[in-house]
Amino acid sequence: MLRRIKIDWATLPNFQPLETPFPAPERIYPGLEEIEPESFPDFLDEIGLVGMGGSGFPASEKLRASIGAHTLVINGVECEPGITIDQTVLLHHSLWVQAGANATAKAIGAKRVALAVKDHPDQVAKLRKLYPEYDIIPFSDRYPVGAEKLILKKLTGKIPPPGTRPYQLGYLVQNVVSLRATGRAIIDGFPVVERPLTLTAPAARFYKNTIVPVGLPVREVLTAFALPYDPVRHLIVGGGLMMGREMAPDDGVEKTTTSLILLERAALEEKEHGCIRCGACNTACPLSLHPYSLVERIQKGKTDSAAFQAQMTECFLCGVCSAVCPSHIPLVQTLAEGKQCLP
Amino acid sequence: MPAVNSPFLRSGIRTSGMAVWALAALMVPATIYSILYSSPFIFRLIGYALLGMLAEAIYVLLVRRKLKFNHAGSALTATIIAASIPSSMPFLPMLYAILLSIWIVKLPMVGLPLRFNAAMAGRLFLMLVYPNQTVNWGTPTADVISTATPQELYHLEGFALALPQLLFGRIEGIWEELFLLVPGSPGETFPILLLLLGALLCFKGIIAWRAPVAFLVSFAVASAAFGDSVVFNLFSSATIFSAVFIVSDPVSTPMSKGGKVAVGILIGVSSTVIRHTTYYTEAIVYAILLGNLFAPLFDRLAFSLQGRKLMRR
Repeated sequence: MLRRIKIDWATLPNFQPLETPFPAPERIYPGLEEIEPESFPDFLDEIGLVGMGGSGFPASEKLRASIGAHTLVINGVECEPGITIDQTVLLHHSLWVQAGANATAKAIGAKRVALAVKDHPDQVAKLRKLYPEYDIIPFSDRYPVGAEKLILKKLTGKIPPPGTRPYQLGYLVQNVVSLRATGRAIIDGFPVVERPLTLTAPAARFYKNTIVPVGLPVREVLTAFALPYDPVRHLIVGGGLMMGREMAPDDGVEKTTTSLILLERAALEEKEHGCIRCGACNTACPLSLHPYSLVERIQKGKTDSAAFQAQMTECFLCGVCSAVCPSHIPLVQTLAEGKQCLP
Repeated sequence: MPAVNSPFLRSGIRTSGMAVWALAALMVPATIYSILYSSPFIFRLIGYALLGMLAEAIYVLLVRRKLKFNHAGSALTATIIAASIPSSMPFLPMLYAILLSIWIVKLPMVGLPLRFNAAMAGRLFLMLVYPNQTVNWGTPTADVISTATPQELYHLEGFALALPQLLFGRIEGIWEELFLLVPGSPGETFPILLLLLGALLCFKGIIAWRAPVAFLVSFAVASAAFGDSVVFNLFSSATIFSAVFIVSDPVSTPMSKGGKVAVGILIGVSSTVIRHTTYYTEAIVYAILLGNLFAPLFDRLAFSLQGRKLMRR
């Protein structure tokens, strides 16, 4: 098992950036006053912004579709357990986040800006001081509250129908780190060249938030913090414990790499057993789907029924079913394959 | 190097650990029973548990051609059978029941949608083949005679009990002096303790709370509807024991949340009906096997209902 690292939510330390000085900006981007709904998506394309919460969806597309939305939701609910970049960005880079949020809200014409954060009372009190004009909505600390669907569920009172995007309901949900990147471009003129991420090695009791240049090989990030890495013993997980994937040491840090976690390989290898039909996956599913029933139907090829299609569309592969399975069945991998069965 | 996939975080509960926890919980009332009534019951219980493990080891060796010694599930089955019948049950019927439940009901049905509670199948076998020993509710002391459980006394002779006696599980007064009566089987003698153990198991994530709670609530409501004493029915004749160790069984109850509740209600109502309208006080065995029979249907219904609910939005 992983060793527990205690996180003091009220006083998250500031980022410890790597010593790689960026070159001075080549050109100055338009300031907050010159933001126009027509030109803003092009501006986002120019700085190269993608959804930095982990999705990697081009931000300009999302923004173009959301023009006219009434609420901008700042997603500061860290999706994955054990990662704190969203909170740290909110606490220490409030200037950039505010600039980015105001610009985005102005561009889409949003009247209200809501800030979704995790419900740690000390931290919420601090954020209320830092962001006085935003609506702060505390969310529970349970994975996966940060998913767009579940944030909208809390805001609108019910789970949005399958296939709908938030802009169809009048909401634009943007990740904190995306907004920080927008604000950084507006204020300092830097395009999206840096990635705030959580770097942690639970076995070595190492836990830091850092800012890494996009494209830097993972090996160099580990060397910079003097973390020992042995490819046989260790495993680098990029992008969170639940939805992340294994990264090779020569892979570059991407814009969507929310975290780098160095794990002991031995602690992770688990043998798969037969299903005992305990229903732990059903109980844990945040959308009340039936994960094992879905997996059974995928394996047997019975994927035509309307009930299957509806549930498969709804699933967003959060991985909670796999995490709670006492038989260690790779449910979420099969469900990801099952997404191919959809028309 | 084998591929390791996300999620990299696990809840830490394993299937083998689940059975071990339930087994440990079951040992608590059995130990207290042994101490209070000074019977060697706990040692026999451990023996039966080992017998169950041996039975599964033999099965695995014969069918899958490999030898393993990690069979807490079968040990739990054997222990539940032993704890739900009088401790005076001779060895041979117990052996038959354990072998039957493990070799015919438990192991060949692994992985099927329809699965029966193996312990209840073994219990049913004992009830049908050795009816005399199965209702011999006494302590294994010198003066053993065939006596009734409080439930049977109440049922047949209108002999009502005070609440404290029920909770603590010992009939006092003239009956006690005559025969040293211990009502019920070893597992069911301490309802309050069993409730606490059930809460602990729920908290640890070993058992799911929906089916047992639905069972207890529907059982109480149905008892009240039939005009029986709710408290008396709840705290006698293994109702709490069944809720904690048998209705909560992850293997034979449905997987879906709605299915768990439905099966709990089905078991609760049907066992009350059997208990009220017939002379059987052991209704729970039939009710649970009936509930197991409905599990695949409930799962399929819950699946298509959830699909319909999602489509309607």
